[in-house]
Amino acid sequence: MDLGLRGKKAIVTGATKGIGRAIVELLALEGADIGLCARDADEVAETVAALKVRGINAVGEAVNVRDGEHYKAWLERTATALGGCDIFIPNVSAGGGFDSEKNWVKSFEVDVLHTVRGCETLMPHLEKSGSGSIVIISSTNALETFGVPQAYNAMKAALLTYSKQLSQHVGKRGVRVNSISPGPVYFDGGAWELIKGTMPKLYDWAVKQIPIGRMGAPEEVARVVAFIASPAASLITGSNIVADNGFTKRVQF
Amino acid sequence: MGSDEDFRKRSQSPAFTPVRRVTPENSPETPAEKAPDPQLVDGVIDARRYTSAEFMKLEWERLWTRVWLLGARELDMPEPGDFVVTEIGPESILIVRQSDGGLRAFYNVCQHRGNRLRPCGVGTSGTTRSITCPYHHWEYELDGSYRRIPDLDTFPQGAPPRGLKELRCDTWGGFVWYTLNESPEPLRDFLGVIPKHLDPYNFNRMVQTRDLTVEWHCNWKTSVDAFNESYHVQGIHPQLLWYLHDLDIQIDCYERHSRYLIPFGTLSPRVRKPPGIPEPIKTIMKGAGMDPADYDGPITNIRHDVQKHKRALGATQGRDYSRLNDDQLTDDYHYFIFPNLSLNVHADDFWIFRQRPHPSDPDRMFYDIMTYELVPAGTEWPERVPHRQWRHGDKSIGTVLDQDAANLPGVQAGMHSAGFNGLWLGRQELRIRHFHKVIDDYVYGPAGRPPGAP
Repeated sequence: MDLGLRGKKAIVTGATKGIGRAIVELLALEGADIGLCARDADEVAETVAALKVRGINAVGEAVNVRDGEHYKAWLERTATALGGCDIFIPNVSAGGGFDSEKNWVKSFEVDVLHTVRGCETLMPHLEKSGSGSIVIISSTNALETFGVPQAYNAMKAALLTYSKQLSQHVGKRGVRVNSISPGPVYFDGGAWELIKGTMPKLYDWAVKQIPIGRMGAPEEVARVVAFIASPAASLITGSNIVADNGFTKRVQF
Repeated sequence: MGSDEDFRKRSQSPAFTPVRRVTPENSPETPAEKAPDPQLVDGVIDARRYTSAEFMKLEWERLWTRVWLLGARELDMPEPGDFVVTEIGPESILIVRQSDGGLRAFYNVCQHRGNRLRPCGVGTSGTTRSITCPYHHWEYELDGSYRRIPDLDTFPQGAPPRGLKELRCDTWGGFVWYTLNESPEPLRDFLGVIPKHLDPYNFNRMVQTRDLTVEWHCNWKTSVDAFNESYHVQGIHPQLLWYLHDLDIQIDCYERHSRYLIPFGTLSPRVRKPPGIPEPIKTIMKGAGMDPADYDGPITNIRHDVQKHKRALGATQGRDYSRLNDDQLTDDYHYFIFPNLSLNVHADDFWIFRQRPHPSDPDRMFYDIMTYELVPAGTEWPERVPHRQWRHGDKSIGTVLDQDAANLPGVQAGMHSAGFNGLWLGRQELRIRHFHKVIDDYVYGPAGRPPGAP
């Protein structure tokens, strides 16, 4: 099956590690041009260089998405550099944290506001595409009780509502909007590696919740994202795709 | 079986960029400079010294009865008549605050029939006007002289020639030290560099927050060894790799004592940079009054930023850090005071782990945990915790110490094995080698060597 990604222009935030990195690697392999950002300039440069080996065009900058003006300017610059934007994948997250009210502000600014700002800034480009597609990265933490009440879970839930409403709003302009809710994803340098090392009981508990007995890999999430982002998924908009290896227990009617 | 090259490659320690440390001239009191490493032979440390009753006897005769030992905390016995009981091996010691404010230490034994004057056991303390034996009520003054012997006239030979048998005691660091040695060197000489290094922390500003004794199933030295190297962190404390640097450690051996300086609040080069701040490092930040949710810098900058933060805010929080260098505000200044005290010393707290030999069994020992926390100026002095005691594994003593405790009986059992000759030590374990060298100096004399040693 040809996903139809060759020559598409994709912008992905937080793309030097983990799920974001796997997404840009796969999109590049499928022939898409990539614009990416992350906090660390060295890691951005390394990622851009690695993608260019695929023979596609890749650009990247160090951006802190909490700085709204800087972030929006980067999005515009990147769309211009790529010659448009067909796919937008807001992937950055502030991660967990439950010990301070400031986590709520941080999670709101990073997880929610950066997604909203990105969608609004890039919408004119996505409309022009003809096959514009947004894939918002949520989490199974938004769907079922996990751990303690914390901003991460609530903000990921906010993204699901936003994603659905946005899909209705921009559908007539030819832009599809979907979200992906990965379950626990393990990778080198990832949150679960840290949890495995520092809170082994929580890690063991999480693995036990997964029928097949292992966490997901970034590459597995990336394959779902790449399909949903691609013109091949033309019938799918307003959906939330749960990719969790059976981690969640609810029935999806 | 892999090639030698594969073996070496798999076994290589990770490379790392050294952490930033204070320079000696930026350390107001505690010396920061590295001491020259002692020249010690790379030999095997004979396992029999951990298991043999004979070696245990030599240790008692030539080491435990020669050194100075930690006995009590002065703050626990401020008033005349306050007393504390401590123990070492088969001996029980009674430390008593005198009417003139001075201190005396006695063997805890009545001169009549040998009964204990006060119950044995670390943690026994109280206040008394005189010391009366619970058996026939022989009564002693606080200074150990006789006050009353019931029916003295029925002893034709009179009272024994002297009252309670006294021991030397002295004070340093807010603690009472004693020695079974009848002609000891002065305590200050025994402690060597320690007062200069640790006085700046001013332990008297700290209240005791844990006072615990656990009987452990290992030799006392097996436990000392466990706290004198950081090589085991990657083995049994993997969670600490996201909390401290286990390889960039400054080891300093002094005459009898030693220390190592462990950078806290940073990552081990053995782990990858995580996506967020590890919880244990967040705890350090919160302790300094920082909000981790506010922190936008890289994790590797946190240690230095905590130092700056504490330096700037300490005084406003009633925490005077003026006598400490910047590294002392974050790092573990870990001292070993020969023969049996491991001190994790920090700006806001310190922990003492004390290893005491069992009276008769080389495979058992007593592990004392005493922790203390800085009481900020202007706040009410809290009551110290009571002493508790239990047996190996009965209860949790905290994740990290449980990991240490769980491992030690296996080490001790292995010391008895025909398949094991002795300890094969690396550079990270220099303090263990130094510790055993000092033991040898006591047991065999400074020029002497253990039987069969190279």
